[in-house]
Order: sequence, then structure tokens, then C-alpha cells
Amino acid sequence: MTATVSQTAMPPAATDRPDYAALIQPDRVHGSLYTDPRIFAEELARIWYRTWVFVGHESEVRQPGDYVRKSIGPQDVVMTRDRDGRVHVLLNRCPHRGNLVCEDERGHSNSFRCPYHGWTFRNDGELLGYPYHQGYGGRGKLKQGMARAARVDSYRGFVFASLADDGPTLREHLGHAAGEIDRLCRLSPEGEVELTAGWLKHRTRANWKLLVENETDGYHPQFVHGSIFSVTGSPIGALYSEKSVAVTRDLGNGHSENDLRPEFRRHGQPMRWFGTTEDRVPDYVAKMREVYGEEAEKILVEGAPHVMIFPNLFIAEIQVFMIQPLAVDECVQHATAVQLKGAPELNRRMVSQSIGSVGPAGMLLADDTEMYERNQLGAEQLRPEWFEIKRGVHRERLDERGLRVGNATDETGMRGFWAHYRKLMEVGK
Amino acid sequence: MTDEQDGRGVVIGPAEPEVVGSEFAEVAVSVDHQGNGPRLKLEDLRTGHVRYLDALELETIAWLPDEHLRRLLDPSAHRWREEA
Repeated sequence: MTATVSQTAMPPAATDRPDYAALIQPDRVHGSLYTDPRIFAEELARIWYRTWVFVGHESEVRQPGDYVRKSIGPQDVVMTRDRDGRVHVLLNRCPHRGNLVCEDERGHSNSFRCPYHGWTFRNDGELLGYPYHQGYGGRGKLKQGMARAARVDSYRGFVFASLADDGPTLREHLGHAAGEIDRLCRLSPEGEVELTAGWLKHRTRANWKLLVENETDGYHPQFVHGSIFSVTGSPIGALYSEKSVAVTRDLGNGHSENDLRPEFRRHGQPMRWFGTTEDRVPDYVAKMREVYGEEAEKILVEGAPHVMIFPNLFIAEIQVFMIQPLAVDECVQHATAVQLKGAPELNRRMVSQSIGSVGPAGMLLADDTEMYERNQLGAEQLRPEWFEIKRGVHRERLDERGLRVGNATDETGMRGFWAHYRKLMEVGK
Repeated sequence: MTDEQDGRGVVIGPAEPEVVGSEFAEVAVSVDHQGNGPRLKLEDLRTGHVRYLDALELETIAWLPDEHLRRLLDPSAHRWREEA
């Protein structure tokens, strides 16, 4: 038998709790949301240990017996693939005396042996045995396995876990954001994404929400990333100008996107989304046309999504980020290059572009991280107490799906994030 | 023997397996690198049946008492059982 871990205990009585309705208003949010350790503790209980959280990708544990160390916020978890091909998410803790069971970042083993007293577990968490069994009255007397995430599910290979026994299904949680994952997958001639390029980790002294808000903030690129745009001659900056026809969309459930397709359609050039032209990646373009037929032009012109999936999965066209909060003022950004199955020509470029933008000496993520850390320091100052989130509120409209959209530089995504955040934090009020 | 390379050209091990054979059985032995870590690949060359063994499983076999191994060698232990 294997225990499942679930977070069912509610935080202290409502009277002791922050008043989220007062802290989160339609056009502004209170600075303490980024600095109060008590609020961070509530976020762990109400968001990170309840809702669906992105853990990793099935391609990272391709073979039965493969495992990788991952996280759900501060929780250290192990994602495994068992002999039957099923993916599991185990909490990395021996049920005997609490030792960390797996230390390597990745490996191959069908069973795990705790180094402290030798308790041994199958890679689905089941206890296989323990040394000197007579001390427990014999063999097979104990049933304590490693704890498993209560629910594990995947969408197009992206693995999510929830530590709550109940709640919306993954598909319900993803809602309209699922279509953005589809949009990424269709860029592969085989319709599949792989996250096998390895992960970079950037420790960041900032509250996790500053990152989530920034991921679809179309207002900052022209300022924060001005230097890399000018050095590289990138056309990306113009996508986020006041003249841009791109939109910012609230996808619901806290998800948001910068939908750049209107701009790319206006130009109608295949591979412009990747900052290149089709003659530079002839094999890829030919393969896409062969596989997708007439649909290929649309796919090659519209490109990849730029979507923030609540609370921690950010797909930034050619990179995937996983945001891991560790404390109220600290998190880790995990970043990897998207790899498209059946597209080696593009994959090589995606890795080198990712090194240039989010690698150790990359220019894009370093710019953002500088802002995150300055933002955290600023948030700790006493006055004024509020953060503005009202940009473009007067020009928001609903699209054909009934989703709220704003202009390219508007804070529509942030407002959607905070509405969902408030709903989760007020549960049990 | 040429070295096996992965998709990026990194040498990851010998390509040709060694064969441990006798008049009773022939098994190809190699170290497989397709997973997130190495594992031993055993291929029964008479049937094509493949068994992978990870490090902890190999250590366990290294410590298997002769008596236990003798029981496994009984043809009716696993492979040739009436109910199989």
C-alpha cells in the first residue's frame, strides 16, 4: 500500500486570516501580497498544495525505470515511470525517519533504497522491504510506502500533479490554455514536444507572483529588453508597442497570454515568429508542408504561444519555464529549450537561442531577473502601499470566445491572474 | 569494436555486445544508455527475450545465495510451468 498525500486541512479560522477582498482590488493589489510570510504560507496550502501544478514532461522519463527530481513549490518530488509505463510523482522522503531518498537529479532505477536504514521502495512508492525484519515482527509487516501526489495527470506530455484528492480535473483547470499547448505541439511535424535539452536553474530573490505577472506583461519589453533588441536587431520589440495589433488575453483560471498572431498574420511570413526566414530552415519547413498540407502555412506564420499557465508553467515560444517558489521573497526559475519531435534543424537553433536568452550569460532572463529583484526590494518599502494593475482597463473587450482581451501593452493578464488567485485564497472564508 | 554514439555524437559505450555462451544458452550482454542512467541489457539470443537490470537489481543478484539461484534454475520455476 502506498500513502497518497493530500492537503485537506484548512488554515486557521477566517478571523485570523488576511482580508483578500481588501488586498486585491480590481485596479490595484496590496504590496504585502509580495512580502508577508503569512500570506506565502497560505498560498502553499491553498494554491501550491491544492491546485494542479506543472511538474515535468513525459519525455524526461522515457524509459520504464527512469526518474527525475522535480518540485511542487518547496516540496522535493521524484517523477518516475514504472514498469507498466505509468508516470508517478512521489514525495522525496523516506516514511521511516524522513530521509531524502533520491539525491541525483536524474537516473535509472526501478527501485529506490534509502541510504539511512536501507528501506527499499518500488518506483511507484510501494515499500518492498526493510533490513533485519524481525525488529518489525517479520517480513511484509510494514506497509508504509513513499507518499504519492494524490492526483497525477498529463496533457500532451506535460505532467501536472495535485496534492488534493479532489478538485477540478486537469482538463478543467487548463480550460482555454490547453489550446495553447496544442498550438506548441502542432509546430512539430510529429505533433509532439520534448523537454529533453536539460534545465537551467536561476535562483531569484523575488516573490513568485512578480514573475507570473511579468510573463505576459507586454508593457515592459521595450524598456527592460531594449538592449538585447537593439544588439540583435530583433523585431520582437515592435510586437509590444502601442501600434501593435497583438493582444493580451485573460484565458480564465488565472492563465493569460500575449497573442502575437495578429502581428504575424499581418506580415504573413513563415518563421518570422522565430526571428528567421524559411530559407534558413528548409528541411523543417519542407517537412511541415509535407505533413500538414495547406494547414502548414498558417502554422508556420502564427508560430508558438506565449502563455502563462497558472501557477507555474510559462511557455515562451521556444522556451518552457517552471517557476518554483521557496519563500515569500525567493524562488527558482527553471528553464529549458523546447524541442520539437522530428525537427532536428529547428531544435539546434532553439537550444542556441535559449542559451543566448536564458543561459548563464543570456541577456533576456538576466534583464527580467534584475527587475524581479529590484521589484522585491521596492515592494518592501512602506509607501505607497499599492501595486497598480489598471493599465488598459478602459479599452478591454471580449473576443469571439467571450474571453477578455486588452491591447498588447495592457495589464489584462495580471487582472485575470489576481481574480483567480483571490478566488482560491478566499476558499473557506 | 566501434563506440556507440548518442544523437549528439557523444560516445556512450561499446556498440557490440559481448556474448556469454555455452552449448545450453547464449546471452548478449551490453550496457544500455537509452534511459536516464545506465542499465545492463541481457538478450537471450535464442528467443530474442530482453531483460534490463539496473544497478540496485545487479547488486541484489550479486548477493543472491547459491541456493536461491538454484531454485530459479529449475525449469518449472518460471518459464516452463504448466500454468504459464
